[in-house]
Amino acid sequence: MQSLRVPLLPLAGLCLLLVMLWPPLRHAIEARMSTHMLVQFPALLLAGALLAAPLSQRWSNGLQRWNELGIAGLVASALTMALLMVPRVLDLALQDARVESAKLLALLASGAALGVSWQRAGTVIQAFFLGNMLPMLAVVGTLYQDSPTRLCNAYLLDDQQTLGAALAWVSGGILVAWLLRLRQPLKAAAQAESAAHGPPGSASRRQRAASTDAG
Amino acid sequence: MWRTSLACAALASTAWFCASALTEGFEVWTAEGARRLQVANAPVAAPHAVLAGPDIAGQTLHDVLARPGRVTIASFMYTRCPTVCLALGSSLQQLQQVIDTDIKLLSISFDPTQDDAEQLRRHAALWQADPRHWRMATVPDAALLQRLLAAWQVVAIDDGRGGYEHNAALLVIDERGRLVRIFDDTDVAGALEFARALQRGGSVM
Repeated sequence: MQSLRVPLLPLAGLCLLLVMLWPPLRHAIEARMSTHMLVQFPALLLAGALLAAPLSQRWSNGLQRWNELGIAGLVASALTMALLMVPRVLDLALQDARVESAKLLALLASGAALGVSWQRAGTVIQAFFLGNMLPMLAVVGTLYQDSPTRLCNAYLLDDQQTLGAALAWVSGGILVAWLLRLRQPLKAAAQAESAAHGPPGSASRRQRAASTDAG
Repeated sequence: MWRTSLACAALASTAWFCASALTEGFEVWTAEGARRLQVANAPVAAPHAVLAGPDIAGQTLHDVLARPGRVTIASFMYTRCPTVCLALGSSLQQLQQVIDTDIKLLSISFDPTQDDAEQLRRHAALWQADPRHWRMATVPDAALLQRLLAAWQVVAIDDGRGGYEHNAALLVIDERGRLVRIFDDTDVAGALEFARALQRGGSVM
């Protein structure tokens, strides 16, 4: 099963990447500011993470010294995101093939860095990363939504406002999703705790917990 | 851990370098801001464009703009525009009432298929444009028009309702036909003050 799954992930990443790069689709997605940021950006991040999936086990062990606790990877993707929030990037990407290529590569690399670093980072560093990224996303969204003028010459004002509102919701959505996932290890820890110090008579449960720990 | 710190420092410096290049040294955040900064730093000559419009047909843009002592405040528009062009038109109308003899106003339509000479004449009448001060023109040749729009970074996009959204602004052009400064479409005072200073000081820069 494991041998089957490992090549499947980068294959899916490659397919997603090729679909996103297919010129008619790429141009259609980039024709609107909202789809440019809400479809292309996450799709390329995901493609990057999937492509890097086999790396996260083998290759990254050597890299780990440069990326302890996933810090460098999260810093890299946070900085990339911050740069890509500058409205001028979107206009330039449409006009200048070099900027467009740099943007696509940066998104892929960011996705890869996130994929390799996320689990390693642990709850505290994840919280720090999200504590920086999500407010930034929400503030940028609010700015896009409230700006009376267009921030990109190539995009319509109502499209910009739609995107702004959506970015604020995405920011909140990521927070909720992360908190929900955070509950699982907390619950597991609480269960282990109660099993260890449970009332007398639950010896069999305690034994089972102990055997799971050993395994 | 020092390796990770080093990696973070390298990443941060790279990002700083990119951000600085992207924002022209943290001065601008939008393409429009960059356009205005670039023009102010390095004036952009009017490319070759043959005009059409009432009393202007056959002249080139350079002919109309480049006259000793002349300063032109130009703007790009289309006559069916229901939104920003109204603000732009009212700015130009205000300017018309206060400008001196050798500051000229020029409205250029980027929609020559709709805005022929007759339509431009009607539009000029609607805005009570005095042809001695304020003229309306377009560039019928599609290739020349595109070159002009590209040179001065005028972007007009389909708004999905049969019209356009565009980066409306007041463009100040010096006596050599060079775009030297760009002002907000409602910044009448700023554009006028700069145009007068340009005229007094001759061709700056």
